Amino acid sequence: MTISTEKLALLLQLASPALPVGAYSYSGGLEAAIEAGVVTNAASAQRWIGDVLEHSIARMEAPLFLRLCSQDADIERWNELFLASRETAELRAETVQMGYSLNLLLPELGVENVALEEPAFPTVFARAAITWGIEPREALLAYLWAWLENQVMAALKAVPLGQTEGQKMLLALGEKLLGIVEEAARMDDEELGNLAPGLALASARHETQYSRLFRS
Amino acid sequence: MRVAEPVFAPWRAELALGFERREARTVLAERRQDGPLVVQKPLYPEGDEVCHAIVVHPPAGIAGGDELEVAAKAGAGAHALLTTPGAAKWYRSAGPWARQKLAFEVAGVLEWLPQETIVFDGALADMGCEVNLDAEACYIGWEILCLGRTGSGERFGRGEIRLHTRVSRGGRLLWYERGRIEGGGKLMHSPVGLDGRSVLGTLLAASVGLDSKLIAVYRAAAPETAITLLPGLLVARYLGNSSEEAKHCLARVWSALRPALTGREAVEPRIWRT
Repeated sequence: MTISTEKLALLLQLASPALPVGAYSYSGGLEAAIEAGVVTNAASAQRWIGDVLEHSIARMEAPLFLRLCSQDADIERWNELFLASRETAELRAETVQMGYSLNLLLPELGVENVALEEPAFPTVFARAAITWGIEPREALLAYLWAWLENQVMAALKAVPLGQTEGQKMLLALGEKLLGIVEEAARMDDEELGNLAPGLALASARHETQYSRLFRS
Repeated sequence: MRVAEPVFAPWRAELALGFERREARTVLAERRQDGPLVVQKPLYPEGDEVCHAIVVHPPAGIAGGDELEVAAKAGAGAHALLTTPGAAKWYRSAGPWARQKLAFEVAGVLEWLPQETIVFDGALADMGCEVNLDAEACYIGWEILCLGRTGSGERFGRGEIRLHTRVSRGGRLLWYERGRIEGGGKLMHSPVGLDGRSVLGTLLAASVGLDSKLIAVYRAAAPETAITLLPGLLVARYLGNSSEEAKHCLARVWSALRPALTGREAVEPRIWRT
């Protein structure tokens, strides 16, 4: 992968936590794992985030994102599949709300928005990237990076952890992203998978968690 | 001298059932079977409106190469409850995959409440379930998956399970879950996966009548489970080490859901107690 400097700036803008989609308000089940005592320190946070990345994001969201980026993609079908693959009400609401917010922003950035009732976040992110002429795999790397950074930031706040621990975790897990992109590009449709029952249970329990900072 | 491997011809079995409403009664109007999958005489333990049917696989276990297909239709106004007489067992495979496909077409009410599925160490098991619902249809189904014969200390250390479940209403996908569990693999031990547990229970209830105000009631009925409400679909999950506990938990969720979704109290099939 090589990317032009001009495209790199656009990609950094999309992947930035300054993107006004409210990503910071979601932990994607991490906060419930902390409540359950599964995540208690930097090592267990890294394991949880790395496992969600490996078993869920890498097998479902990543290959699906590449499909959403293809020129002749059946966007409606892949978007429907992604929403149907969300395990809980909160995980579904997270992607729907972030997708909605980014979709509102796109026309302001000169990108035609996605004409679907409930565009998921990867659907809208992919639309922006392809409109700007960014290669799908580069766009996916940025998408995964944004997800990872948000997870690590959530761990810093909720465990809590120190800034240096967070940076070490980003470096360690960030190294895996390129391999996930390459693997996602090789996967057949039949290999897409989201089975992660521990994540699904944690997320469902978060819905009734008494004290919480995050919306998922 | 060559020693021949014992060869068992794999079994293909198909069972297709069609339930229809005839006046006040749900009848088993269509029954096609090919191979060792049969349905016992329809039962009416809760009156004419609901037909209970017990699906039996006489070979008792599923071996590598076997292919089973159960298709059931519940027409408009019909209400059918399907269950099984005992645990489904998937045996260790010498190489070939065993497959089971469930295909449900629902316009009325269909309940699929089988007893647990035990996957032996070394099995290669492919389990698919596809549910297609009409506009007003109601579906309640569960699967209780046990990894290894844990009663005798067996772990699911080798082999693989492939699971795929899809639920659609009016052609629109409501639920998609797909995955692979590799014997002794990382997903079995990961906290985001099976977390070292051997029993995974999943109940799905699809209805246009699901009421978010009742979710607290369902949660209170089985606090060991985790319950979430998606658009038009409720999901309850159990992750633990006891298939009996999984059954009891999911049955309590079912008992709480059934009156709200079908207007009928839950009547446990007697076969569950034998």
